[in-house]
Amino acid sequence: MELRGVSKLLKTTAILVTSIAFVAQANADEYWQSADSTAAEVYVEEPMPPGFRVERNELEGPVFADAKGRTLYSWPLERLRNGDLGDRQNDASTCTDEVQTVNTGLMSPYPGGLELPDLETRPSCVDVWPPVLAAADSEPLGKWTITEREDGSKQWSYDGYPLYTSILDINPGDVLGGSKFREGADSPVVRKPVGPSPLVPPELAVTVMFTGRMLVNHENYSAYSWDGDAPNKSNCHDSCLKTWEPVLAPETAQAQGEWTIIERSPGIKQWAFREKPLYTRPGDTRLRSLAGSDSDGWHNVYTQQVLAPPKEFTIQDARIGHVLADSEGMAIYVYNCGDDAQDQLACDHPDSPQAYRLAICGGGDPDKCLKTWPYVLAPEVSSSESSLWTVEYIDPKTGRWASPEQSGALRIWAYRGRPVYTFSGDQRPGETRGDAWGEFYGARNGFKAFWLRDDFLGNAG
Amino acid sequence: MRHDPLVKMSTQKFAPAALAAATILATCGANAAAAEDSDSLELKNRSIGYVLTMRHWAIYQTPEAKEECPQGFNDGPREQFKLLYPEDGTNWTLLETQLERESEVWHPGTEKEPYPFYEVEGTTSIGLNLDGQVDAIDFISPEGDEGIDNQLYRAIGCIANFRGPDGTAYHFENNYMQRYNYNRFVIEITGVDDLVNDDQVTLTTYRGLDGLLTDASGRDFIPGGTQRIDMRWGKEFIQSFKGKIVDGVLTTEAADLNMPWSVTFKTSPVMYLKDARFQLKLTPDGAEGLMGTYVDVHDWYYHATVGWSTHHQSYGQESSPSMYRALRRLADAYPDPETGENTAISGAVDVKFSRAFVVHPDQEIAADDAEMEAEVASTRD
Repeated sequence: MELRGVSKLLKTTAILVTSIAFVAQANADEYWQSADSTAAEVYVEEPMPPGFRVERNELEGPVFADAKGRTLYSWPLERLRNGDLGDRQNDASTCTDEVQTVNTGLMSPYPGGLELPDLETRPSCVDVWPPVLAAADSEPLGKWTITEREDGSKQWSYDGYPLYTSILDINPGDVLGGSKFREGADSPVVRKPVGPSPLVPPELAVTVMFTGRMLVNHENYSAYSWDGDAPNKSNCHDSCLKTWEPVLAPETAQAQGEWTIIERSPGIKQWAFREKPLYTRPGDTRLRSLAGSDSDGWHNVYTQQVLAPPKEFTIQDARIGHVLADSEGMAIYVYNCGDDAQDQLACDHPDSPQAYRLAICGGGDPDKCLKTWPYVLAPEVSSSESSLWTVEYIDPKTGRWASPEQSGALRIWAYRGRPVYTFSGDQRPGETRGDAWGEFYGARNGFKAFWLRDDFLGNAG
Repeated sequence: MRHDPLVKMSTQKFAPAALAAATILATCGANAAAAEDSDSLELKNRSIGYVLTMRHWAIYQTPEAKEECPQGFNDGPREQFKLLYPEDGTNWTLLETQLERESEVWHPGTEKEPYPFYEVEGTTSIGLNLDGQVDAIDFISPEGDEGIDNQLYRAIGCIANFRGPDGTAYHFENNYMQRYNYNRFVIEITGVDDLVNDDQVTLTTYRGLDGLLTDASGRDFIPGGTQRIDMRWGKEFIQSFKGKIVDGVLTTEAADLNMPWSVTFKTSPVMYLKDARFQLKLTPDGAEGLMGTYVDVHDWYYHATVGWSTHHQSYGQESSPSMYRALRRLADAYPDPETGENTAISGAVDVKFSRAFVVHPDQEIAADDAEMEAEVASTRD
């Protein structure tokens, strides 16, 4: 072997060895913010009718809430395979007190007219999604309008979409009924929390990632900041500019709040957020990329990020990026489910019909479910900085919540109020063989890996 | 496409397993440096790279399928649903119909189904002789070679979804392979002295990071593109095969291989190939031929179900429960040590590659260093 080849080999090896030591800590820092951090998204303040307010959520950011702090949701019309469901903009609510008894057949390939599971206990749409009613003397205000329901009562709407609360939200700031996270193709028609617009310049936007609310430019390319810059001063010049492109501010731009403007050179202005000049990376071939954060000192920029998950959890390299895993490195999965009834009720929760999950996880057999898709157990001494992760007790036979004293109850981790799982088919850390297992690639009735980063397919945001 | 500036290797964060792979690559680079003065015009440093542009499970088709599927094609989810749950006034429930069918998809059984399943009946199949034997169940190739091992063809050859040109799985599997960089499959043949005859070469597989190069119409793939190697997330796709080239055809020895094989929306399945081997006609512009392989029945099956939902399977009458039973019946390799039942099935993949210039991470660093040095030099001037 030539000396040149040996030298190259040694150089490569040395670099890798140095890098490996910092993998776990560096990755964790990129994905969550410190519990001591006060970073929170600033929003555009707008007038609200009396009784409404803004609450803050760790994942969803600022959301509108009623007088009791219950998050407000809308149910925008979405297309399914064989038709549309949800509320039309500037129209009355389609969420009624009628208990649906059959499916619609709007999700191919199964026909409609099939009797739904657990019919004797099935709630109506308004039982699960109480409409946000307006008092008789309420007046519309800005984007807040009032529509009339079938029964003559008045319901608040925002941006033309009727508003609801969720029976899953208990404490002010809870957003357990739905998420702003982008649903994949063939997902159910879901309810989404409604909130004020983020305060960002027109050149930028906030996009929802699994780990926080990330800044992107108007074309959805990620915004980055650099540790090499000083507060409100860019030190990125010459060769640096070949890799990083400043997010320019127009001549008429004005600083506001956390947004400042720096003048790189006479007449050339650049946006800075929290005193950090912003850049995009022309080398990003994917939208909402996290690849720029691989460069030393460069970081994706968030208005806010979630806090760290349970301490024993790990981050594993997987075939498309990073996946959240348990203490043994086995990938963690969330279960998604929405039925195909007219009201598209969720079936992803221990309080909802378990027939869907049991069919997918064990062919209807609870024991097989437990073996194929075991719950992620929570150690007796365990904690999470993040409010998104809670310790719950579950009856493994029924899939329903249990009390701690119940015989056979398992102490498990739940994410956003729903159990999480590992997959018995994953044979080594970082494997994700169970990803997309279920109806419609895990979006309709199935399992999806908890992707923190996906450099190929957009699973993380 | 936005060109990706080169990220310095010192800033990459690799898991420990990458160390071995990078060692292999650095060694290859060193060997390549020692052979810069090769006489071959087609080769660069005794290496040639190709990127996959077409990939189908090899299905031998006769006009109107008369030879291989004389009884017609199989029913799929919609047709079977109607047979099982007829509209005869019965008040069917979701639990006993849709969820029962999905239970069968994800946890299939082997008991006989109440409708027929048509296996391929012909004697001809595309493929390779994987076990070196000529058995009663083997096919004969269209060229007359005996002992062709392709029982997967027998299982799926009469399912419309897998038949070209317009079977939806046939079409979309290939389409998504072309579109998604997740599927970018690159081979680099090293140690090549002659692209026509060479008794000792090495074929190494990688996942690439770049899109495919097309002509101006966008329809056809052309040689000359660059493929950077994915050393961050694609380590499991790296495998080396010993091979030889005879009269322009490369054949390799067998080895297990993981292939990125995503079919649709946000799915990232892998095809786990056992004893895979290549038979490729090589030219300076491209390569074309077959991969022969065994696949564990459960791996193949769950790849098919994760990658293609019941909805999409129904487009081409692909019934997962029926397919599973056929796979179990026709499995022809890797007997279970306890039960003796075969657990893997033979198959073949039609493949086509375009010539690509393979860029390894150390070459990226070298190029980046050269650019930096040039810039520094220019400032001094």
